[in-house]
Amino acid sequence: MLTEQPGLLFVAATLLPIASFAILLLWGAVRWGLRPYANDNPAARNVFEMLGGAVPGPGPAYVATAAIGLAFVCSLIGFCIFLGEVGTMHELEHELVHHQQAHPDKHDDKQGEKKDDDIDKLRGEFNQLKHHWEGSVDWARLYSSSQKDIDRGAILTVGFRIDMLSAVMFVMVTFVATLIHLFSIGYMSDELQKEVEDHEVHTAHGHYSRRGRFGRFFMFLSLFCFSMLNLILADNLFQIFVSWELVGICSFLLIGFYFERTSASNASNKAFITNRIGDAGFIIGLMIIWTFFGTFNFEEIFRRVRCPQVDAHGPITFKIGEDSAKHRIVRGNAEQKEGYPFFKANPEGSLALIFPRNEHLHGPQSEQKVYPEPGATQYTTIPYWLLVVAGLGIFLGCVGKSAQFPLQVWLPDAMEGPTPVSALIHAATMVAAGVYLVGRCYPFFTPEVLLTISYVGAITLFVAASIAVVMTDIKKVLAYSTVSQLGYMMLGLGVGGWTAGLLHLLTHAFFKALLFLGSGSVIYGCHHQQDMLKMGGLYPKMKITALTMLMGVLAIAGTPFFSGWYSKDEILVSAYGFVMANKQHFLLFLLPLVTAGITTFYMFRMWFMTFTGKPRDEYVHEHAHESPWQMTVPLILLAILSVGVAWGWPPHIPEHSWLGEQLHHYSQPESVKVDFAEADKAIAAHHGHEVVFFTATSVVGIGLVFALVLYFYGVLDPNDAKEQFPDVHRFLLNKWYFDELYSTLLIRPALVIAHWCRNFDSTVIDGFVNGLGKWSVLTSYWSGRFDSGIIDGFANLIADVSYAVGSWLRNVQTGYLRSYILFLALAAMAIWVLLYAWANAVIGGP
Amino acid sequence: MNPVEQLNLYLALGALLFVCGVVCMATKRNAIGVLIGVELVLNGANINFVAFSRFHPNFQVEGMIFALFVIVMAAGEAAVALAIVLNFYNNHTTVDVDTAEELKG
Repeated sequence: MLTEQPGLLFVAATLLPIASFAILLLWGAVRWGLRPYANDNPAARNVFEMLGGAVPGPGPAYVATAAIGLAFVCSLIGFCIFLGEVGTMHELEHELVHHQQAHPDKHDDKQGEKKDDDIDKLRGEFNQLKHHWEGSVDWARLYSSSQKDIDRGAILTVGFRIDMLSAVMFVMVTFVATLIHLFSIGYMSDELQKEVEDHEVHTAHGHYSRRGRFGRFFMFLSLFCFSMLNLILADNLFQIFVSWELVGICSFLLIGFYFERTSASNASNKAFITNRIGDAGFIIGLMIIWTFFGTFNFEEIFRRVRCPQVDAHGPITFKIGEDSAKHRIVRGNAEQKEGYPFFKANPEGSLALIFPRNEHLHGPQSEQKVYPEPGATQYTTIPYWLLVVAGLGIFLGCVGKSAQFPLQVWLPDAMEGPTPVSALIHAATMVAAGVYLVGRCYPFFTPEVLLTISYVGAITLFVAASIAVVMTDIKKVLAYSTVSQLGYMMLGLGVGGWTAGLLHLLTHAFFKALLFLGSGSVIYGCHHQQDMLKMGGLYPKMKITALTMLMGVLAIAGTPFFSGWYSKDEILVSAYGFVMANKQHFLLFLLPLVTAGITTFYMFRMWFMTFTGKPRDEYVHEHAHESPWQMTVPLILLAILSVGVAWGWPPHIPEHSWLGEQLHHYSQPESVKVDFAEADKAIAAHHGHEVVFFTATSVVGIGLVFALVLYFYGVLDPNDAKEQFPDVHRFLLNKWYFDELYSTLLIRPALVIAHWCRNFDSTVIDGFVNGLGKWSVLTSYWSGRFDSGIIDGFANLIADVSYAVGSWLRNVQTGYLRSYILFLALAAMAIWVLLYAWANAVIGGP
Repeated sequence: MNPVEQLNLYLALGALLFVCGVVCMATKRNAIGVLIGVELVLNGANINFVAFSRFHPNFQVEGMIFALFVIVMAAGEAAVALAIVLNFYNNHTTVDVDTAEELKG
């Protein structure tokens, strides 16, 4: 089965963590259910003890780590097989396209038929290889309002599709996650106690103490990994959306892991609610896509929105102005020609063409994907502005997940979670999802959307870096550096550096995981001290942590030959090209360039403040120690990869990075080259690579010099700078007042409106209901009075009268025989008299 | 004297006997006296039956048969009534009908 479809290795890698989640959930549930009976019932106690007893054991960690480790092995094997096949696949596809363009009409002559055989053979080979790496099952059949789909209905599928991007992401995510699992075994060992005292929660009886939650932590980690892997695996947007929400809920659970702390529960709420805003945009995008395309499958959407090279009628010879329409979004207007609707291409047109479901390129397949020919050549249109809105909506989702301006506020607060969680969120899973989705949906984005993405990225990277300069909490510095680096990725994607942006996502995953785990090691070694103002001089105490972190710092700063340099340099080159082609957007190059210097400055500031100089706090320094091997081994492994993951040959040319080249050749959408052709020309024309190399390196050097002067040699006192510019310092320390701004603009108005609503509810609605109640009480009272007075009175009256008559008549019954006889006689006489009188009156005498 | 006048004389005798019986029943306190009144009433009625059987062609047989019925019934009545009187005497040591008032309403 695996030789037939090696893509299933990746499916297995996805399913392993969810299996681990299910096992841990069951384990925990049984333990929880048995706990109350464990004291009395011997059978229950035996099972309870078998499952770990009252004190949580490290078992769950082994299950989860084994699952994710196996997933890593699966993805690595899958990746190697994929590498072996991807080249052939790529060549075949090109050849096919070439053939079809050269010989569009298959049935003209004998030669054509021969070519036809050739094409069929090629197509067969190609489909066989393609089948290795994709597959799907129908999940639900729906009916779409879109007319084209009447013949087929619309189907929601669950499927997988592996390309170079997802394969590389798989290896990265599973590798980083495995190391984070391993690290967590050491870091979360406090949770192994029967009673854990939380020093940050104060109750009336001192510190809050609770049961250890070791198993729960690893259960959530497993679910988190599954969600992220499923997101990468998916071949359609709907599956991505489901995993997207799962990632959201996992981050909520893990950020709020210490939910007894008010700050942690607030932070998890903030992360979740901020993400909801983004998801609202995502849903809008999904609805537009569903309405107009009737499918969520990436390949189909992209094939229909970008002009294909051939359709059922043959090669497409559209021209937009001077250029061929190939791989472009074709805009135009609807016109009438001889009574028939007619689409006239026009670069400013208000409609965008939706191309038919074109299966011709890959040939009719034996499976479900054969569509009836008449329906297949139906061209439809989508209003261009809706295409923009859909793109912006999807991007808004990514803004939320990847913590971009203006939704970046949740990520620094997410530091309330345990440090391995921060590492997982920041490196491999959550924030990567947003960038991944932008990269995945790239052909769908119009130039307007891409420009928005670039500006959002540029603003984010600068704002976050400026805040990171003044932060003193070691994790907050890293959090803001993540936001800033994510801004770089978005910028890179927006300006056409598709490969650069996603390569930065990969390299960043390694060095950010390293930095976070390093900070975790520092925090663990300093007994949960996170404030850098209490650290300093820790280098002799924790050499491994310090040296590995230095590798991470060098990588993130963009020091030449470290992994971060390759990707960041590429991003800057793309930005440079874009700016040279569109001079009015000069900020898109200036901001990231300046920020590169700022990044170097604050990262070295963090490292110097933590590891060098004099100890600032004697107690912390005295008790600091190096972490156990479960924590240092991941650090060393990550350090090696942080240095060398992006290497290529020759190493001094960033675009020859091996990983980057793989992505560039096999995964980059064709539309990138077409959309950013001018920028590419500008790079070559203005010696982009050389210019960027020298300017960026010198800016990085300046940043390093500043950090050395201020924090290593202490020539200048950083406090002087603080006192010189108190307003700037306060502004940065308060994170550009974003929280306050949102509080004023959104939260307080919402609270005021909520207050009004409550008042309206309690006065008007409740008043109405209460009035109704009072009215009916009053009505019932009078109705009761009527009932008891008049109706009952009438009935009683009848009874009373009969009683009175009866009482009077009983006097007749004297009991004396003689009086009865007298009555009889008198009655007889009376009857006689009456009869006599009656006879006289009626018949005139007896 | 024509038959109708003769019949009227008999009927007058029957009415006299009937009224005497009723007065006797209404005035006597002694239970035996009351029974005697009853006998008088029955015999007053009997005289009527017999008189009609003699003077009315339609009632020649019926009158006599009804008279015989009344005699038989009077005998039965006397037997039952005397038994009640005896029992009453056993319970109350008197035959005064005014003391028997327990059935009053």
